[in-house]
Amino acid sequence: MTPDPASRLRRRLLGAAAALGLVALSQPLAAPGAAALELSGEPRIAFIYAATARDGGWNEALDNARLRVEAELGVTIPTVESVPEEATALKNAIDLLIRRGFNVIVGTTYGYSEGILEAAQENPGVAFVNASGATNSDNLEGFYVRSYEAWYLAGMAAASVSETGRVGILGGFPVGVVNWDVNAFALGAQAVNPEIDVIAVYTNSWWDPVREGAVTRAMLDQGADVIANNLSSSSPFVAAEEAGAKSIGFQLDMSQHAPNGHLTSVVFNWDQHLLPTLAALKDGTWEPNPWGAFPSMADGVVALSPVSDLVPAEVRALIEETADAIKAGTFSPFDGPIHAQDGRVVIPEGTRIDDAGLWGMDFLVRGVTGTLN
Amino acid sequence: MTLATAILLTVMTAATPLLLAALGELVVERAGVLNLGVEGMMIMGAASGVAVAIVTGSSLLGVLAAIGAGMALAALFALLTLGLSANQVAAGLALTIFGLGLSGVVGAPFVGVQREGIGRITVPFLSDLPVIGPILFRQDPFVYGSVALVIAVSWFLWRTKPGLILRACGENPVSAHALGYPVLRIRLYAVLFGGACAGLAGAYLSLVLTPFWTAGMTAGRGWIALAIVVFASWLPFRALLGAYLFGGLIILQLHAQTAGVAVPSQLLAALPYLITILALTLIMAMRRGQGGVAPAGLGLTFTPDR
Repeated sequence: MTPDPASRLRRRLLGAAAALGLVALSQPLAAPGAAALELSGEPRIAFIYAATARDGGWNEALDNARLRVEAELGVTIPTVESVPEEATALKNAIDLLIRRGFNVIVGTTYGYSEGILEAAQENPGVAFVNASGATNSDNLEGFYVRSYEAWYLAGMAAASVSETGRVGILGGFPVGVVNWDVNAFALGAQAVNPEIDVIAVYTNSWWDPVREGAVTRAMLDQGADVIANNLSSSSPFVAAEEAGAKSIGFQLDMSQHAPNGHLTSVVFNWDQHLLPTLAALKDGTWEPNPWGAFPSMADGVVALSPVSDLVPAEVRALIEETADAIKAGTFSPFDGPIHAQDGRVVIPEGTRIDDAGLWGMDFLVRGVTGTLN
Repeated sequence: MTLATAILLTVMTAATPLLLAALGELVVERAGVLNLGVEGMMIMGAASGVAVAIVTGSSLLGVLAAIGAGMALAALFALLTLGLSANQVAAGLALTIFGLGLSGVVGAPFVGVQREGIGRITVPFLSDLPVIGPILFRQDPFVYGSVALVIAVSWFLWRTKPGLILRACGENPVSAHALGYPVLRIRLYAVLFGGACAGLAGAYLSLVLTPFWTAGMTAGRGWIALAIVVFASWLPFRALLGAYLFGGLIILQLHAQTAGVAVPSQLLAALPYLITILALTLIMAMRRGQGGVAPAGLGLTFTPDR
């Protein structure tokens, strides 16, 4: 809909990360093999948010990680909120923090990619990490997570409780990081019920709760009885709950918004990535990956919240089993053969998608009703 | 309920907030004032409405608070543009930005708090009619109210003397002033009415459609309302048409996607604005040589000589 300058910062999970991934893969921004960063003194950490920290979604998942890191390390980690996704504003905030002695700066949005890279180049003795960031250098590492692994499991849960044989998923923009969640959800659902009909709707916005409610009602009107929300407002849960339908959440455990119909949520545990990073920084062994960090379910950075009893016990067991296989690396949702909507083979039998294929994912899998444009 | 009925129902709920806000702005612009702060007033209405409704437990008080919040912001706009003769475009844009920020503060304590939305009015017997029953006789009070408001505004502007005076202030404030009409006071009333309507539209979003508060929940609907006023060439019944057309496009786009119809959703999202430009072009072409359709004094600062 219309640009809404003051807001919508939310999980700008970025279409951008996709772009970043592509850029990073095609032209590494830093020479691989750069030396480890030596921090001057103990790590002193600060977080910068583009909106309020307790936003009920993307930022809140990161802020929960901040609190867990505080408890784990026994330190205080201050935050700066509502710093616009614009290089000058970001650099002012970073300069202020560095002058006050902070030497580990945690950015929280794709929109900081450019500004944080400039700041990193100007402050070589300071470590920078940026959630869903698209830039990397000797002292800057963007990070995201293989969220599709958990979305596959969520798809299994959804299909197992659907009585109409039709489930719906809401996404933001049709970019790689969203498409892989949608596709993994559909593939997981098909693993439980090969005949399942998955409706995917992109709202073309990261934040429009009223529209998300309308999308949910449209999907329910079309016969879907499980709604998976790849966005972070609570309106899809409210609309689903109202209609007596089941729902699946993202980013945080969303069960409070749908006490009756919540099946499970795909949740981020960013502390599982930040703690090892900070430990390496402390030891002087931190070397940013020139293509950004891309942890997985095996690292604990993405997980499924406790699965509801609404899901049959044998499916819950199957979900557990599949999760173990994914963590062990013996299975990936994008193991071939995978067919696109039009039936063409996009991932051949016997191969697994690589990271470039993930970031650039521009298809929906067979069995999904919906369109990417 | 058939799918077609379900779609029509959602179209009405999508169109109603647009219609309410557009009607208010239409009266404001008919008085010669351009208030681009609709989005800001709307979201303040949404935030205040849900806040008061949660605190007091009364939806009615929430609606009144939303109207009051919209009027309070409108009064601020009137102080700047009518009292201090500030530029209307700049003041309106500032009002939108201010409203978006302030609503976040007002709504912050209520993030994630859910409440029962305002229910629908069911007309006995008639609501049981097939198809038209659920559409016409089982709606929430806002839907009926918005249609009644179209009739009331139209009647007021073209069938009453105060309406004629209000339009005179918008067409030629200097002449209206020379005739002895208090142009600024009349414009103030119009601006306050616009604020009340925008606040009411906001209340519809946060008390009926999505019965809880989230920051930025208007998501550009105030701007669409502004486009509808132009599309409607400043006529209330065309605003009704415009709101249902634009609301219908939004909903159809969603249903097209769920049905797997390959229509570029970005194009559909741009359609309301495209249609506005087309409608305006057509209207101007048909009226060639007869002057514009916009109130002649629209957006111009008027300072009476004392």
